Amino acid sequence: MAFDWTYFWAQLFTPSTAFLDGLFLTVFMAVAAQILGSVLGLVIALGKMARSRVLRGLAGVYIWIVRGTPLLVQIVFIYTGLAAANILRFNDITLSGITFPGSVQAGILALALNEAAYMAEIFRSGIGSVDSGQFEAAKALGMPPATMFRHIVMPQALRIILLPIGNQFNIMLKNTTLVSVIGVSEMLLVTETINSATFRTFELYSVLALYFLALTSLWHLFMAWAEHRLARSKTGLVPGQDAGATPKEVAA
Amino acid sequence: MKPPRISDERLIELTGVAKWFGPNKVLDDVDFHVRRGEVVVLIGPSGSGKTTLLRCINHLETVQAGQVRVRDELIGYRMRGSKLVADRERNIAVQRREVGMVFQRFNLFPHLTVLENITIAPTLLRGVPKARAEEDARALLARVGLPDKALSYPVHLSGGQQQRVAIARALAMQPAAMLFDEPTSALDPEMVGEVLGVMRDLAASGMTMVIVTHEMGFARQVADRVVVMAQGRVIEEGAPEQVFSAPRDPKTRALLAAVLH
Ligand SMILES: Nc1ncnc2c1ncn2[C@@H]1O[C@H](COP(=O)(O)OP(=O)(O)OP(=O)(O)O)[C@@H](O)[C@H]1O
Ligand SMILES: [Mg+2]
Repeated sequence: MAFDWTYFWAQLFTPSTAFLDGLFLTVFMAVAAQILGSVLGLVIALGKMARSRVLRGLAGVYIWIVRGTPLLVQIVFIYTGLAAANILRFNDITLSGITFPGSVQAGILALALNEAAYMAEIFRSGIGSVDSGQFEAAKALGMPPATMFRHIVMPQALRIILLPIGNQFNIMLKNTTLVSVIGVSEMLLVTETINSATFRTFELYSVLALYFLALTSLWHLFMAWAEHRLARSKTGLVPGQDAGATPKEVAA
Repeated sequence: MKPPRISDERLIELTGVAKWFGPNKVLDDVDFHVRRGEVVVLIGPSGSGKTTLLRCINHLETVQAGQVRVRDELIGYRMRGSKLVADRERNIAVQRREVGMVFQRFNLFPHLTVLENITIAPTLLRGVPKARAEEDARALLARVGLPDKALSYPVHLSGGQQQRVAIARALAMQPAAMLFDEPTSALDPEMVGEVLGVMRDLAASGMTMVIVTHEMGFARQVADRVVVMAQGRVIEEGAPEQVFSAPRDPKTRALLAAVLH
């Protein structure tokens, strides 16, 4: 069977409403999970750096489990597993006319919980690479920990971890395909549904791949722009570089 | 004889302070005090505990024995009944506002402008309105000789300029005393003078200061009292003329011989 160009172009430029809904769902879930995962990741990073041994231990175990098991398993576990064990059932929620299916909620939650473990390590390394003199200066001025963290440490850490965060979102966009397994009609599942009726697998998956390539490329362009702006900002701080002032080394 | 601007009140007082880093005893039963208005210069060989002593004053380091008091208030600990317990981080933060600190490596906040570096603490911690804080900051910048650097970022300043901004930043909290830890030793030689000049003016204005420095000429000029440390102990103290011209302790003599020649 030859490649059906007509069908391919039609799917690419005039996709079905179902496919466009899938596209929207893909982006929506990725953004929601990334935001939720980042917030959670920051909390876990703080836990990992806490003075309390219990908090450090809990954060460590969380990261260990999440990074040590497949995301696909986590998704099924959270949606199907918890429901089967009568622990947690995700019900559809309707807010001002818009319905959030339970599977979408579970999908976002699973992606976010997974993302949090990776973000925690990124935040931790970012905070760790802020020069210790910055902490000292903030403390010596009399800043309580929260103020120091918010106004001195985080702004510098975020510049350092801009790139890894960008990479995480790229991965996130692609990982949303995994929630098709619990029946979320994102782009992959929509494509699969169309495929089961038309059997134009090659054409349909080419289109799907191109849509993902477009999404990740747009994101890549945005990141390049953000990085460029930051590098050109008057602070002279470049992402990924040591943010501390670097006066010349002192001779003993 | 003490100059008249020095009061009898002991603004900073350390009694019997001991500090270990692991097995190393870095401060060994140190008694140290600074009176209001006094300029104390702390000298001693490398590793003798000068930095550690300064850092104990604003509780950047904990102590294992003895007491640190600023304005008669116990730093870092509270009495619970007759026992000393570690204070909460928030309370320690409040206590630190009374004492300004200037670091060897400046430690300006690189993501903030010079003006923001100076206004951030008074606006966030003392509730000074922004406009007022900026006005004060500009006055401080004029005082340290940098009236036109308000909107620069630290990376674009020379070391000497950064250190003067760091002094202005500490002064913006209106501390009762200022601590300087080798403020000129990270600087190119041609920039040392501008920073010492600012400190000299500050001393003349009556600020209470503790200065760790190897600049002996400067020490001689500004110090009301020189304190010599060796191996975690205060081995000698006195007026600069006495310590520099007629040191009593052989270790002081060795130290002075090493830095002066
Ligand atoms: N954070 C630390 N952990 C372990 N040991 C430390 C620490 N800070 C200082 N020390 C040790 O404590 C001793 C005193 O150090 P300190 O920095 O107070 O000396 P100093 O008099 O300031 O020396 P210098 O003139 O070189 O600055 C040294 O032996 C040093 O190695
Ligand atoms: Mg030192």
